[in-house]
Amino acid sequence: MPKEERGLSRIELLQGTLDLIVLQTLRWGPRHGYGIAQMIRANSRDVLQVDTGSLYPALHRLERSGAIAAEWETSENRQRVRVYRLTAAGRRQLAAERSRWEQLSEAIAGILAPPTPEADG
Amino acid sequence: MNFPWSRSRRDRELDEELRAHMRMAIEERVARGENRVEAERAARREFGNVGLVKEVTREMWSGDWLERFVQDVRYGARTLRRSPAFTTVAGLTLALGIGATTAMFTVVHAVLLRPLPYPRSDRLMQLAYMAPNNPFVWTAGIADRQWVDFRRQDRLFSRVAASSGQLVTLTNAGDPVRLQGADVTAGYFETLGIQPAHGRPFTLDDESTAGEPVVILSDALWRDRFGADPRVVGSSVTLDGIRHTVLAVLPPGFAYPSDARLWRPLRVTLSPNRSMLLSVVGRLKDGATREQAVAELQSMAEASARGSRDPRDSLVALVHPLKESVVGGATRSLLVFAGAVALVLLIACANVANLLLMRATSRQREMAVRAALGAGRRRLVRQLITESALLWMASGAVGAALAVSGVRALLTLAPPGRIPRQGEIGVDAAALAFALGVSLVTGLVFGLAPAVRATRANLRDALAATARTMSGRDGRLRGALVVSEIALALVLLAGAGLMVQSFIRMRRVDLGFRPSGLVSMTIDLPDATYRSPEAMQAVHQAMLERLAHAPGVASSAAVNFIPLGAAMIRGDFQLDGGRKIPQAYLVAKPAVSPGYFRTMGITLIRGREFTTQDNASSPGVVIVSKSVADRIWSGVDAVGQRISMEDVPGPGDWLTVVGVVDDVGQTTIDTHRDPAIYQPIRQLTRTFFLDHMSFVVLSTGDPSTLVPAMRQAMHEVDPNQPIGSIGTVDSAISASVAEPLFQARLIGVFSVFALLLAAIGIYGVVAYSVAERTHEIGIRVALGAARRDVVRLVLRRILKLVVPGVVLGIGGALATTRVLSTLLFGVKPNDPATFVGVAVLLVCVAFVAGFVPARRASRVDPLIALRVGA
Repeated sequence: MPKEERGLSRIELLQGTLDLIVLQTLRWGPRHGYGIAQMIRANSRDVLQVDTGSLYPALHRLERSGAIAAEWETSENRQRVRVYRLTAAGRRQLAAERSRWEQLSEAIAGILAPPTPEADG
Repeated sequence: MNFPWSRSRRDRELDEELRAHMRMAIEERVARGENRVEAERAARREFGNVGLVKEVTREMWSGDWLERFVQDVRYGARTLRRSPAFTTVAGLTLALGIGATTAMFTVVHAVLLRPLPYPRSDRLMQLAYMAPNNPFVWTAGIADRQWVDFRRQDRLFSRVAASSGQLVTLTNAGDPVRLQGADVTAGYFETLGIQPAHGRPFTLDDESTAGEPVVILSDALWRDRFGADPRVVGSSVTLDGIRHTVLAVLPPGFAYPSDARLWRPLRVTLSPNRSMLLSVVGRLKDGATREQAVAELQSMAEASARGSRDPRDSLVALVHPLKESVVGGATRSLLVFAGAVALVLLIACANVANLLLMRATSRQREMAVRAALGAGRRRLVRQLITESALLWMASGAVGAALAVSGVRALLTLAPPGRIPRQGEIGVDAAALAFALGVSLVTGLVFGLAPAVRATRANLRDALAATARTMSGRDGRLRGALVVSEIALALVLLAGAGLMVQSFIRMRRVDLGFRPSGLVSMTIDLPDATYRSPEAMQAVHQAMLERLAHAPGVASSAAVNFIPLGAAMIRGDFQLDGGRKIPQAYLVAKPAVSPGYFRTMGITLIRGREFTTQDNASSPGVVIVSKSVADRIWSGVDAVGQRISMEDVPGPGDWLTVVGVVDDVGQTTIDTHRDPAIYQPIRQLTRTFFLDHMSFVVLSTGDPSTLVPAMRQAMHEVDPNQPIGSIGTVDSAISASVAEPLFQARLIGVFSVFALLLAAIGIYGVVAYSVAERTHEIGIRVALGAARRDVVRLVLRRILKLVVPGVVLGIGGALATTRVLSTLLFGVKPNDPATFVGVAVLLVCVAFVAGFVPARRASRVDPLIALRVGA
């Protein structure tokens, strides 16, 4: 799936970014959807608020592509929750997306802060 | 694989997962000290639209094509239901197009494509000789003498058989009736691979003249006349007054050759005076080829012609697949109709594609929202294509239903006997598969562009812009579709125009006689009952006396071969004094009673008509037609000249010309009238020229009222004599132009439909461009443009569509109407008047279609337009 959607438009870019964030969040251990949302929010100091309409499609897409796996567990207060954990494939994808992200942010940083003309001369 | 059960399980799990999410969110808020009701409301607001989240998430799982397909179909059906006006208009257009195409395909498939209904029918060949140098033999066949040699061959054909069509009168089984029959050799049915349903086929013994007369019946005749009683096999029936034993009944549907209802053994008698042409069919052995068969037949012909110096005896062998000879002349007109109907379908599809494009523009927002929610572009395109495929398939289903009645209407309206293999035509699995295939392919092709266009829109632009702006490319694509619709419609209109012209010209032909007020009745006297010329002449005399005294009759006469009738005899003749007539000069040779020319309104130019004194005991006389007189006796008076109809005239065989009459169209309605030499019927001495006779009556009033009186007269003279055909001569002429009329009507209907669709297309594009430019028009009006200028603006838009459409259409028509040339009469396929006429018609229709939007544009209120468009 991601392959056929990899392209130019900014929606795909957003999706890719969300995937990266979700995978990174799961690196710290298995978590349910609500927990992931809360953690992203907390770790980004409330800047990123992933809405459910994007989170759950992303989770299910990643599950389908094999990057994460899900199983039902019973939580502390005896509720059944669906818990996601990173798979080996997910770890590889995380590494790849991470380096892609780093390249991208370096590139954007370069554009946003160009070397001053004085430095050239 | 995602099976339905796994799908519903996943749905339940997703529900549970999202419920848990919501619960946790609420609990956290409550734990932070919020009031529970407040917390629930806030959590729900934060969560957003649960249904939408579920739908979008579920889509992530709809990976395999089947599930995704089912989803797309549901989605498509939902959107189509939501816009009933669009769905109805588009669906009806397509259903008519697909229905007409399927109906035509059904006929083409049954007649041209499907093999004949005999086992391994591709091995069946029609064998014949053509005599290119012999003006008397204009049909191909095999003479009975050649047949006797030929049937012994066993090299290339596993079986051969011959047939000869005959008309037969059946009596003592209901009303006397004249039936199409065929005399066939032993092995005829075996050659075709047909087994009788009851009884046995003919054997060689049945061919012997000494054997008792036998007959085989068709299933149809057996049901109509003998109540489908199997005991009829072995009983006897009366044919031409002779009792025949019924040997067998054939299976249903078999009626070959020439729609035969009964078959008798062909008894080949090799008398030197009689050589008839047989239609011969052979079954090629495995491994033998058609080329080998041609070579073999040719060498046999050369062997038999050796020793003859007469160039007339040289023969050309013809071997054609039996199917070709059965289907024959219908091929051309069927293919023309199929082409015409395909054009209609294309126009219908272009029109619907146009509607889809318009819809696509108004759906850009919807698409943008779906894309924002994570649906990939491919997925959206696929959804839209599924939607149009669904539209096409639904229309295809309606179209297939329409095709059933379409085929029925086609067969009812077609002139009888002109569509071969009519009994085999019906909407079957192949036709349904065709409808399905056509719907699917056209749906995908014509649904693709609108789908791609609809999803191309940049998200931000689509969300920001007013929904009705359309990119220039869309406008161009839609314009191009309408231009091609106009061009295709023009091609059809040109074809229809030519057919109508041709039909009108055909009806205007002066035949040389006056058909109005005439009634004719044709009978065939069986030779077996009326054995002598005198017996036949007595019937004619009795009939003429009764008719002369019937009320309402101005005058009456008899003629053996009536103009435009079923048959005509042609031949040459000898001139007194040793002069030869021009080579290959053939004249029609009808025989007529006194009063014939008066009754028919044929002008007597010189001399006299026949009288009752011109009988068997008086000297032989003839009347020649004008062109014979001019050709043979130019410069001298034809009256008084002597001719003979015998090849080697004896002293008593000379006939004196007593009159000259105008030429008459004897065989076909065309500008060519036939030279003819008339003889008095009472001076004929062969039953062959007397058994087929037509009585013509000139009525003082409405001619059709005389029909019962003529039937009554025949019944009084011989109650067992069936009437071959009866009716006004006008209606007989109408029947002879029934096929061109049918063709003109059919193409006419197609082209009117095409014109209508093109008009709708033009209307759509112009109306859209007016709506799109309301703002601009408002500014123009505000700046002082007059109504006239606004209208001119719209008219320019119409011209931009019509001019290229008409130019392309005329080009297309010039390239394609040539295929009509064999169907046209008196008009060239590139007739300029017709082309100009249909182009003008199309331009007028285009402007009528653009009138409403133009008016709307001219009434634009600048204040409102500027406010809305801003």
